[in-house]
Amino acid sequence: MADGALEDITVSKGPSLIRRLGPGFVVSVGWLLFVVIIALLAPVLPIGEPTATRVGGRFEGPRSGLWFGADATGRDVLSLTIWGARTSLLVGFIAIFVGFIVGGTAGIIAGYFRGWFDRILSFLFATLLSFPALLLAIFVTTLLGRTLLWISISLGVLAIAPVGRLARAQTLVFAERDFVTASRILGATDMRILLREIVPNVVIPMSALALLGMGIAIVAEGTLAFLGVSVNGGLSWGKQIFASASEKQFLQDGPHAALFPIGIVTVTVLALNYAGDRLREVFDAKDLSL
Amino acid sequence: MRFALRSLLQFVLVIFAVTFVAFGALNYLGDPLFNILGPIALEESGPEFAEVRAEARAQFHLDDPFPVRYGRWVGDMLTGDFGRSYSNQVSVRSILADKIPVTAFLMVYAQIIAVVVSVPWALWTASRAYRLGDKVSTVVSFTMLGIPVFALTVLLFWLFAIKWQIFPTRYEDDTIGQRLASLFLPAVALAIPLIATYQRLLRTDLISTLQEDFISVARAKGLPKWFILFRHALRPSLFSLLTVFGIQVASLIGGSLVVERQFQIPGIGFEVVEAIFRDDFPVVLAVVVVVSVAFVAVNVLVDLIYSFLDPRVDFNG
Repeated sequence: MADGALEDITVSKGPSLIRRLGPGFVVSVGWLLFVVIIALLAPVLPIGEPTATRVGGRFEGPRSGLWFGADATGRDVLSLTIWGARTSLLVGFIAIFVGFIVGGTAGIIAGYFRGWFDRILSFLFATLLSFPALLLAIFVTTLLGRTLLWISISLGVLAIAPVGRLARAQTLVFAERDFVTASRILGATDMRILLREIVPNVVIPMSALALLGMGIAIVAEGTLAFLGVSVNGGLSWGKQIFASASEKQFLQDGPHAALFPIGIVTVTVLALNYAGDRLREVFDAKDLSL
Repeated sequence: MRFALRSLLQFVLVIFAVTFVAFGALNYLGDPLFNILGPIALEESGPEFAEVRAEARAQFHLDDPFPVRYGRWVGDMLTGDFGRSYSNQVSVRSILADKIPVTAFLMVYAQIIAVVVSVPWALWTASRAYRLGDKVSTVVSFTMLGIPVFALTVLLFWLFAIKWQIFPTRYEDDTIGQRLASLFLPAVALAIPLIATYQRLLRTDLISTLQEDFISVARAKGLPKWFILFRHALRPSLFSLLTVFGIQVASLIGGSLVVERQFQIPGIGFEVVEAIFRDDFPVVLAVVVVVSVAFVAVNVLVDLIYSFLDPRVDFNG
């Protein structure tokens, strides 16, 4: 690299960060923003009702005005995909939010204070990680009921351990740093050190995990939906794919009805993964294993 | 040794946690009597059923305190008694014995495909690291790793079973050939993320191994390139493959639910989803417990083998 290590530290804001993240990162984030904005704007976009049947013929191919074609009951595939994005993204957001609030808080406290709490927590994390996650999610949602909130929360529970582990590892590193010691010598309370010194430093590298985790949650919801055990009522990408791919005949007559949402969900997940990977490399958060 | 004890303790505790949570959830979140009897369990279904209800309560010891029931249930399971399916009274053990081999076969098939493809691929990319072929491979592998298994399953199913009709759309197992052919696409769908994982890991590992002195020596001796790659470079790198082997079983379990559904394979993943639809809790419970135990066991085993092969490893960190 042309610029030295010292320069990297002092001039690491603005354009240089973007350059380090690379064009692929910009494209990925651009796509994600596009999807989020379209999903948010769904009610005001000039698209038909997603649930309206016979908008097009049965498995009618894509044409002008019906860009993604129609599905088995003649519903507008584009409209379904846009409305489905809302559920899929929301589940991803809530899941990773739950994971960050619970796992992040617990991990930071454990890493800062160490001691018995740390030991117990590390053990709990290891235990949580040893369940086959998807099977557990299916079991829990079967018992609790398949509402959007419960499904998001049970997927969020699965995120607690990986998030918590990273938060703990990062906190361990920063708690030893000179600026924390300096702050302590100046008489700062533990609370102040945690909030002012530790949290900001830990949160930034964890943003990578937020993106990766959202990707995983979206795939997990899609998988549940594909199995027919996701959110009751409403639309999601997974449900849409399930509806158009579960019958062999459907795939034979109108593969586009399944392939369009498959393409969108795949590109979105790849964008989340790529952006997360780039952030991880740039912030050098090594312990980001999932 | 300390490590071995630790993993065994962890193993026992995890299994305790799985069984306790699963059993507790079933007992407190739903009405166990309703799960057993169906609508007859409800008070509204009339006094004439009171006797049936009392009988069932006695038969299933529902009036015992929770720890006693939990203890009995665990004891039953340890002796191989998983209870009976609510829907057709078949013993859960015979269902498991029927379905598990199919899924196990599928998983082993997928792992074999994954290793057979990823090892040569990793060797090829590592030997030409940072050149064009390697860069393209990185993109391909990234895509293979990221694409959701359900998307992949539908894609493969549509392309190879419907559009081009190269492979059957349904499971057949009259002969081993039929079995291999009808499980090929599902196994590939499961293997693709594994291939990417293994290739990435092996490639990174091989690149650093290829910098070692003993490789330069082998090269100086004039040994052929492929021989150096296979005999000298690959062996030390295979260790790291082992570490992820156990963890990958989790994604295989999740993936097998999806592919078994799409390809109508009568395995444990298909069965558990069916059981969920018909509220057949003994089956669901047994599958969750058995699969979790198997998963944890595989991981503990991998850790132990690894610490045995390489005593420097310390997992306490």
